[in-house]
This record gives sequence, structure tokens and C-alpha cells, in this order.
Amino acid sequence: MAASSLMGVALAIARKDLKVEWRTKTAFISSLVFAVLVLAVLYFARDKTSVGDYDLAPGALWVTFTFAGMLGLNRAFLLERENRALDGLRLTPTSPTALFLGKMAGNLVFLGVVELVSLPLFILFYDVPIWRQLPLLMAVVALATVGYVAVGTLLSAMVVRTRFSEVMLPVLLLPFLVPPIVSAVQLTWRILALRPLSEMTGWLSLLAAFDIIFFTLSLLLFEAILVE
Amino acid sequence: MASREPAVRVQDVSRRFGYRWVVRNVSMDVGSGEAVMLVGGNGAGKTTLLRVMAGLLKAHRGRIEYRGAVGMVAHHTMLYDALTARENLVFFGRLHGLRDDGRADRLLERLGLDHVSGERIATFSRGMLQRLAIARALLHDPDVLLLDEPLTGLDDAAAHIVLDVITELKARGAALLIATHQLVELTSVTARVGYMVTGRLAALEPLPGPDAGAIVSRYRELMASGG
Repeated sequence: MAASSLMGVALAIARKDLKVEWRTKTAFISSLVFAVLVLAVLYFARDKTSVGDYDLAPGALWVTFTFAGMLGLNRAFLLERENRALDGLRLTPTSPTALFLGKMAGNLVFLGVVELVSLPLFILFYDVPIWRQLPLLMAVVALATVGYVAVGTLLSAMVVRTRFSEVMLPVLLLPFLVPPIVSAVQLTWRILALRPLSEMTGWLSLLAAFDIIFFTLSLLLFEAILVE
Repeated sequence: MASREPAVRVQDVSRRFGYRWVVRNVSMDVGSGEAVMLVGGNGAGKTTLLRVMAGLLKAHRGRIEYRGAVGMVAHHTMLYDALTARENLVFFGRLHGLRDDGRADRLLERLGLDHVSGERIATFSRGMLQRLAIARALLHDPDVLLLDEPLTGLDDAAAHIVLDVITELKARGAALLIATHQLVELTSVTARVGYMVTGRLAALEPLPGPDAGAIVSRYRELMASGG
């Protein structure tokens, strides 16, 4: 499959996923409600005299993104299970690479929107002045999201044929997410504390390495997962 | 008229689920321009055989050779409820490399769905969904078409449309393998019948006659002899 054709097919799949989500809004509304709930619960659950905003905010942000994103990742292949649409995709000459890239692109847009909507709520709740640091924080969010979505897309395809796929996905995915989420939390803390960039390069390298390794592995393993 | 050249050749194909062999040592040819009916009771292995032939399931033994593209209509529509009929066809058309949406429009018209092309298919009846599933399978103009119960849920008018489409496909040289329990309607468009008994293709013969009762009798005979 030529690269242009591969990208065209991947875009068609991503567009279709987003169109279905736009019409049903099932995962988006659930993710958003979940994000607000987590941010609020974590904010009100702590003792303000012993845990400051800056200590709690990075963890709260990434717990919110991680679990809110899980709902979208689950939905990505569940919609292919309805009417066995995945069989319909497999009956076309679509390469597993194009299918993976399309699904991943759809998930990235979905999670990106959830993150963009959650971020102002995060600023509101935790009163963190991040405007000057926003580009750097956005870069960290983007970097962590790519690795998260790559593994999440692979695993959501893997569990979709199991009986309890909604439960199986977090169980399988969360252990893989420890390195990027820990890195992202560390980086967010440093960004909020206005630490110099030199203190962040190690964590940034870890995030980038995770993205490259797991994106490549997911791409290579995806075909094997599709075979019944 | 069927040509002698097989469009699809199945050689000694077997498939198991766990330890249970569901399809066992099936060999058959279907020629270009030929329609073969596949009959058998529930659990005889018809659907699994078609899924293996379509490449949706891996054969654990044997091989399948095709000349040209393959399409399939299955029990499930393989379509998206949240999309309209036209959007579904245009989407699958893109995946088949079609740049022209006209093919989707022509198929919608041919299958009698043009008046509902802009409606989401979640509101469709079983018969409308079945016709749309057939349109999806025809998007890339397949040389081999595998149909699993294509007339299920169709009223007389819709069944006639589908039978006409099958006749047209045969005329232009496509090979068709049709798994069905609706023998009466399909005897008019098929020349041979394969009898599946407990995963084996017990016989592949010319239609015993225009009467569906003859097929049932022959099937019972094969069942009694253990396939």
C-alpha cells in the first residue's frame, strides 16, 4: 500500500470514528463527567493544611487524564464489535498498519479534546498559574498522550473480543502506563514549580523513548491481534 | 454460463475452535459465473467455512485459492448504526480504494434503498439492513461472493431484488457460494448444491431437481449415512 493511500485510509477510519462519536457522544460525555468528578473529589478530599495545591495538582491532572482517556479507548474498538463491523474492515484491502494508525489518530483527537476541556477545570480547581508555562505543559501532555494512546489502541483491539473488555483494558493497560505517567507527573510538578528545563531532560527523554518503543511495538504487533 | 476455470478452489480445509473441529477436510471448486448453494443444519459448519474462505478466520489445515477479489455478506451487517446508509457505503468504498461516490449511489438505487440513503441505519428494518449489507459487499465488484443467509428477513419484493442481483453477478462471471436454509427461492439461481454434515462436505452435486423437497430428501439421506 502506497504511503499516500495508507494515510488516506487511516484518515477515513479516524474521521469515521470521530463522526460516530460526535453523533452518539457516549464516550465523550462519560469522559468529561469523569474528569470533573476526579478533579473535584481529589481537590476536596485532601487536608489543605498538610497537602498544598502544588503537591497534589500534578497527580490529580494525570489521574484525571489517564482514567478519562480509558473510557474513550474502550469505545474505540467496541464500536467495531457492533454488527461485527471489524469483519467488514478486514474484508477490505485495508492494511493493519492503516487500521492501527486510523484508530490511533481517532483516539488521539478524542483524548486531546478531553484534555483540552479538562485543563481549564484543572486550573480553576487548583489555582495554578500555568499560563506562562502552558506551551511546555502542552508539550508534555502531547508527549505522554502519544505513548498512552499507542499502547491503549493496541490493547483495546486485543481485549475487544473478550467478554469483559471494559474491565480487561485498565487491568492490562495500567502497568504499561507506569513509566509515562510517572514521567508526566514529575515533569508537571517541575513545570508548576518553575524549575529549569535542565531538570526535566531526563524525564522528557524517558517519555520520548517510551513513545518511540511502544508506538513501534504496537504497530508491529497489531496485525497478529487481528487474526482469529 | 459457468466457465470451467474455478474462481475459488478450496483444498482440504479444516478449522477448529478449541479441540472441536467445526470444518473438516472440505474441498470444492466454484467456477466463474456459477452459483453454488450450501445447505446443512445448524452447526453443520456452513458459516465457519464461509468465514474461513473470506479470510476472517484462519484455516488450521488446507488452502484456499482465489481468482480476483472476494466479498462477503454475513449474518451481521458489518455496518455502523450511527452512520447513514450512504455514509456507510462511502466509508467502505474509500477502504476499497474507490474515489467516486457514484458507485455507492448506484448500489443504493439498485438495492432499492436510495430513498433512505440519508437516514441513519439504526432505524432500518432487518430487510433494509440486509440489502445494505449486500450493497457493501458489492462495492468493489467482487469476482467471488460469499453469502450467508442472504434472504433472511427479506419480504418478497426485496428477495426478488436480491435474486436479480445474484443473477446479474452470475451473468458477469462472478462465482457465488450461498449458505442458506431458504431452498425454494434459491433453486432458481443455483446449479449445484453442497451438503454440509457435521463439518464435512458430504456431497457437492447438481441440483436434484427444481423442487426444494428433493434437496431435503438428499440431505436426510446423507445425514442417515453419516455424511
